[in-house]
Amino acid sequence: MSLFSFMGTLEIGLIFGLVAMGVYLTFRVLDFPDLTVDGSFTLGAAVTAALIVSGINPYLSTLAGCLAGAVAGVVTAWLNLRFNILHLLASILTMTALYTINLRVMGKPNLALITDPTVLTPFEGLGLPNMYMKPLFVGICVIAVGILLALFLKTQYGLAMRAVGANKRMAQANGIVVKEKVYAGLALSNGLVALAGALFAQTNGFADSTMGIGTIVVGLAAVIVGETLLSSRKMLMIIFSCIVGSILYRLAIGFALNADFLGFNASDLNLITALLVGLALVLPQLRKEWKAKQAAARANGGDA
Amino acid sequence: MIRCEQLRVTFNAGLPTEKKALRGVNLEIPQGEFVTVIGSNGAGKSTLLNAVAGDIPASGGKILFGDKDVTKIPATGRTKEVARVFQDPLAGTCATMTVEENMALAYGRGSRGKLSFALNDNLRKIFREQLSRLNLGLENRLDAEMGLLSGGQRQSVSLLMSALQPSSILLLDEHTAALDPKTAALIMDISAQIIAEKQLTVMMVTHSMRQALDFGSRTLMLHEGKIVFDLSGEDRSNYEVSDLLELFAKARGGDEALDDDKLLLGS
Repeated sequence: MSLFSFMGTLEIGLIFGLVAMGVYLTFRVLDFPDLTVDGSFTLGAAVTAALIVSGINPYLSTLAGCLAGAVAGVVTAWLNLRFNILHLLASILTMTALYTINLRVMGKPNLALITDPTVLTPFEGLGLPNMYMKPLFVGICVIAVGILLALFLKTQYGLAMRAVGANKRMAQANGIVVKEKVYAGLALSNGLVALAGALFAQTNGFADSTMGIGTIVVGLAAVIVGETLLSSRKMLMIIFSCIVGSILYRLAIGFALNADFLGFNASDLNLITALLVGLALVLPQLRKEWKAKQAAARANGGDA
Repeated sequence: MIRCEQLRVTFNAGLPTEKKALRGVNLEIPQGEFVTVIGSNGAGKSTLLNAVAGDIPASGGKILFGDKDVTKIPATGRTKEVARVFQDPLAGTCATMTVEENMALAYGRGSRGKLSFALNDNLRKIFREQLSRLNLGLENRLDAEMGLLSGGQRQSVSLLMSALQPSSILLLDEHTAALDPKTAALIMDISAQIIAEKQLTVMMVTHSMRQALDFGSRTLMLHEGKIVFDLSGEDRSNYEVSDLLELFAKARGGDEALDDDKLLLGS
């Protein structure tokens, strides 16, 4: 892998660190498996790109993209909480609807941002080559957001949100309004994912109606890889592991696609993704079984 | 303090599975009274407690705390007045969160939703002090995950959590039933301490006739959704477990044999 493609991989890994944080919020904190992210990632990109193209300030456009994502999360939460639609199904409905909405927002399947200003424009003349400047900018953004999220989860409000995911009845008995926390959590999660979409569109110079496909798998992969490698209960470490997991996942994919002896090409991406996520899920289980077997063997040896 | 007027709760109303769990309960518990509630399975004990807590909406009648009509207020809105401990030791705490985080949740009861940090050294000191009352060594395990504690330890922490915030009503739903006798005794001991200290109004559901007579100053017996017996004062102090068992048999229809081990053992 060349330095250039490594920096590119790092940049995308960092951006998807935001997706991983969003997925961590829904899957792990709220125990609400949410597939809306496939749509809200694109929505963030589409809204931001459409606004930038129409001449709006890129920072304001990015903010609008985030808010649009948050609204998508609220819709999913509403379908689940108000009408008792299964969370997974509710999120699939929103995701499906978003596909059309994204096309409408952009007006066509693909919007290019080659000549338009982006959030990166103010930093372009500072002398650092784009190849380094882009991952640095994205990295600072993602780490700042990560720290804020970790701090948020340690506040009374954040703690209440975690309690809702861990034990609803206990949360209620302690005066926590469950529904409100689910709404807030899904809004926050999809807002983060939409921010990732907005940054992706601006660093790569386009928004595309199909760019969100598989976002959920990538996010989940990052969370699981991170959890497997850095298991910690410290909030900051957990969020950090989401980002690290996302980068490592990207590097693994990049390595698999680039290694000639494996014979993969770019169209094999989804199979590699599935294999990697499967491996990350299976390994902790196998390790546990192996350890149990060893312990049993030791115990038997002691008796003999 | 707690008043129920013609309180009715019906599950699955209008369906073939309709069940009238409470059929017009009238009850007045003055401030600071400790009431034990007994009755066979399905008598409506837990339903009564859940209705007072707000977990189950009333189908008819009224529930009042003092002069305040709380019938329409959901459980989360009643937590300023009501604290509770569940039967299942796992139900009262979050397994994936630490001891101190669980306690911080209970500490925030009634003042929810702030963006200030949930934990600080001052709070940890309070939690440590409280935990040391248990003599279980938990004061040194503030950052242990709740799921790593035994059922008895978790129930002990739940009990402390219920008393972290000032409340006037404590609802105990067979909170020692799932514990071994030694731990159960410890928990009852601490419950009694806390109740006396804070002069709480208490409703305690129990299957143990012994507990029902030994604790509190009044005993209610429920049968098929109604209060069939209300025992207090001198009457109650003259009662023995065997007398209660006789009442039970009577409520069940006289000649019906007692088949519930717990009732026979009366422990």
